[in-house]
Amino acid sequence: MDSVFIISYVVIPLLKIAVIVLILSGAIAYLTLLERKVIAHIQVRLGPMRVGWHGLLQPIADGLKFILKEDIVPSRADALVFTLAPIISLVPAFVVFSVIPFGPPGMLEGVLRWALSPFFSPETVQSIVESGSVSGGFVTDINIAVLFVLSVSSVGILGIILAGWASNSKYPLLGALRSSAQMVSYEVALGFSIIGVLLIARSLSLVEIVQKQQQDQLWYIFVQPVAFVLFFICGMAETNRLPFDLPEAETELVGGFHTEYSGFRFALFFMAEYASMITASAMATTLFLGGWLPPFPSVPAFSFLHLVPPVIWFLLKVFLLLYIFIWVRGTLPRFRFDQLMKYGWKVFFPVALGNVLVSAGVLLRFI
Amino acid sequence: MVNFLKRVFFVDVLAGLALTLKYTFHRVYTEQYPTEKPKLAERYRGAPRLNNDPETGETLCIACDLCAQVCPEDLIVVGSERDPDTRKKVLTTYTFDTSRCLFCGLCQEICPTNAIELTQDFELATYSRRNMVWDRTRLEQGWDRIDYGADRETASGRESSRYERKTG
Amino acid sequence: MIEPTILDAKEIEINMGPQHPSTHGVLRVKLKIDGEKVRQAECIIGYLHRGVEKISENRNYFKCIPYYDRTDYIAAVSNGLGFILGVEKMAEIQVPERAQYIRIMMTELNRIASHLLWLATHALDIGAMTVFLYCFREREEILKLFEALFGARLTTHAFRIGGLWKDLPPGFVEAVKKFTDEFPARVDEYEQLLTKNRIWLDRTRGIGVISAAEAIEYGLSGPPLRGSGVPYDVRKLRPYGGYENFEFDVPVGKNGDTYDRYLVRIEEMLQSRRIVEQILQKLPSGPIRGKVPRVLKPAAGEYYSAVEGPRGELGYYIVSDGSTQPFRVRIRPPTFISLQVLDRLVRGHLIADVVAIIGTLDIVLGEIDR
Ligand code: SF4
Ligand code: SF4
Repeated sequence: MDSVFIISYVVIPLLKIAVIVLILSGAIAYLTLLERKVIAHIQVRLGPMRVGWHGLLQPIADGLKFILKEDIVPSRADALVFTLAPIISLVPAFVVFSVIPFGPPGMLEGVLRWALSPFFSPETVQSIVESGSVSGGFVTDINIAVLFVLSVSSVGILGIILAGWASNSKYPLLGALRSSAQMVSYEVALGFSIIGVLLIARSLSLVEIVQKQQQDQLWYIFVQPVAFVLFFICGMAETNRLPFDLPEAETELVGGFHTEYSGFRFALFFMAEYASMITASAMATTLFLGGWLPPFPSVPAFSFLHLVPPVIWFLLKVFLLLYIFIWVRGTLPRFRFDQLMKYGWKVFFPVALGNVLVSAGVLLRFI
Repeated sequence: MVNFLKRVFFVDVLAGLALTLKYTFHRVYTEQYPTEKPKLAERYRGAPRLNNDPETGETLCIACDLCAQVCPEDLIVVGSERDPDTRKKVLTTYTFDTSRCLFCGLCQEICPTNAIELTQDFELATYSRRNMVWDRTRLEQGWDRIDYGADRETASGRESSRYERKTG
Repeated sequence: MIEPTILDAKEIEINMGPQHPSTHGVLRVKLKIDGEKVRQAECIIGYLHRGVEKISENRNYFKCIPYYDRTDYIAAVSNGLGFILGVEKMAEIQVPERAQYIRIMMTELNRIASHLLWLATHALDIGAMTVFLYCFREREEILKLFEALFGARLTTHAFRIGGLWKDLPPGFVEAVKKFTDEFPARVDEYEQLLTKNRIWLDRTRGIGVISAAEAIEYGLSGPPLRGSGVPYDVRKLRPYGGYENFEFDVPVGKNGDTYDRYLVRIEEMLQSRRIVEQILQKLPSGPIRGKVPRVLKPAAGEYYSAVEGPRGELGYYIVSDGSTQPFRVRIRPPTFISLQVLDRLVRGHLIADVVAIIGTLDIVLGEIDR
């Protein structure tokens, strides 16, 4: 194996992964703070104020607290599964980010050239930069990325089910049952809501979908508004956020699947929830809001928007969606288990199906 | 039809969202408690105090025992002895068990000289049960407690530090 | 051999409470569930029993009063009023008009505060956590008024036999006026968040339905009874303490479900505000305390005094043997009686509904256990 191969397929991807994992962990920590602050202000309170300026160090204090807490495994619990469950739930939420494009291909070209040129000959640098997706603003670009995201993220829910099962306790079991029902009902509608976009983009690669949006000079939210709303709602359901937080349902099931969890294991579940929130927002951004593209990507009058780096655009949109997630949580009551199923199967699923049929018809007839 | 359209376009949900958005930028109502002490009403019935005559410094209590008799919880104990010269009752001890008090105010209502009074001080927590029984000195002079807001108040002359603990 | 697990059981028995986020205190409900469907609910009470009735037998009439604040601590003012009215009836004590008006004003404010707390927790149980804090914001205003007039916020020891402790403090009328002026807009806000919200409708309509006839059989009173369409309100039917001088409507529901009870309570808050406004307009001046003997010895006999508390008919059955202390006091706590319909209401519903139904009955464990 030559050095070009090692660098472009091992070293650089690993570096990227490390950066993403680090940033993501930080983002999760501060997302909890953001949530507490936003909800507090919605409720005319202040939220965390004690640790650091306006509670800015609160996530760190929370993290420390979680680590220092006693690690409790209930005596009748299935210890192995009990330990594995939070990990199963967290890892997929991180893995998904390997295919999510934060920036366009070639985004890192300049940086790479600058960093590599002192050590390698110009030809080697050139071949490294050009190989694979090394210089792109993503870890990898695979041609089935959408399917990959869908399948990996549904593994996360297995963690919840296993947690409920392994706790050997009644409330968690009920929470686990609820979450499996929820997963089945919403995964379908979620999948169908994406198909509209796929039909237009004619690709399953997330990078290509964004590039198509650039070619078509239009974010897909304007072409597929229904699909976007569906995707967002189902995303909320997938991530167990209020109004769909039935598996946890604090006031009904105490803590649902994580009733028996405490300390760091609980923190893992907590991180998983926030990580999947970020995933859902990132996916919605990529599929419907033009990923890293600025608004009106090809209108010359707005070309000054290109001055802002694409990553910033991407992060801004993700942030906006996360804010909506939190905002909705601060406003709505919670569904009941059977109503959730009813909405999933009788409303969202037919609407998603109809949306696919209509988009397919329009595409066949007019384009 | 209108109702159906309202449902399709989530009018009910959006109305709620609009309200919460409005309040996101509203003035907050939070009081930052230990640093920002609430101003209580003048009538508030909190920690007890045994008043002294501001001029002479003598206690106002005439040891009539009315407060002890009216108290539903029987928690006031008035100790007195007769002054051999004046034949008047003189207060010797006075204990008040805050742990059992209902803060109903009957004692201060009945007191003929306004000696026993429930003040606006509401921070009564201590570290031991024994500490909740207030004797005459503490009733007359108040007590030093851990003041968790004090470190922010040093400008106003208070010196006790945040974690310093004094028992009364 | 494989050990049998809980999955092998057809019916699971699960304990809700006494430490559960939404049993409103220390209620313990033993639920028999099949999947999520509730087959049976058994209430186990008594965790907060303090023997208030027994305590009253050992105190004179003046000293009893603070203890009743602690039965239904959410509606301490109404609770005190019920007992005081009973004693005044026994001892034939006249209460000056001003005191009567102020009493009614404060009880109505207490009703608003109590309903606000109910709405707050009910909404929180169903997941709408923002309503919780909005309601507490307004409740805080009322508690501040209590603090200014009574000297305490929760266990107020509000009234004295024969009248009041002290007259209104300066600026009090203006403060109440400010509150009543602002209040309808606040109620609109809660309604904006809930009344038309589809999730709220789904969660409350058709949940815990009880017909008028059945509600009467169970002996329900207050909003749970009026939600089923029975216009029974002690304030209207057996006016006490001067309620006959004021105009107000008794809102009733149609279907007797959780949603109707919600609407009834919202409307009751507005009606209470209406009463308070009328009082502010015609508040007479004069003394605030009637003539009360220093030693109160009501004639021997049995007396019943009932008031319309925020949760329903709150009765005091007082037996006097002619001494300074009551021979026996029996409290008729409204929610002790409404709690018995819990089993009837939750059968066939889901666990999530149990929480909604406990909320809609507006139970206060201090009152149930006494
Ligand atoms: S406030 Fe009431 S309970 Fe407390 S000491 Fe005075 S009379 Fe007794
Ligand atoms: S009622 Fe007043 S004067 Fe009499 S003993 Fe009590 S505190 Fe002293």
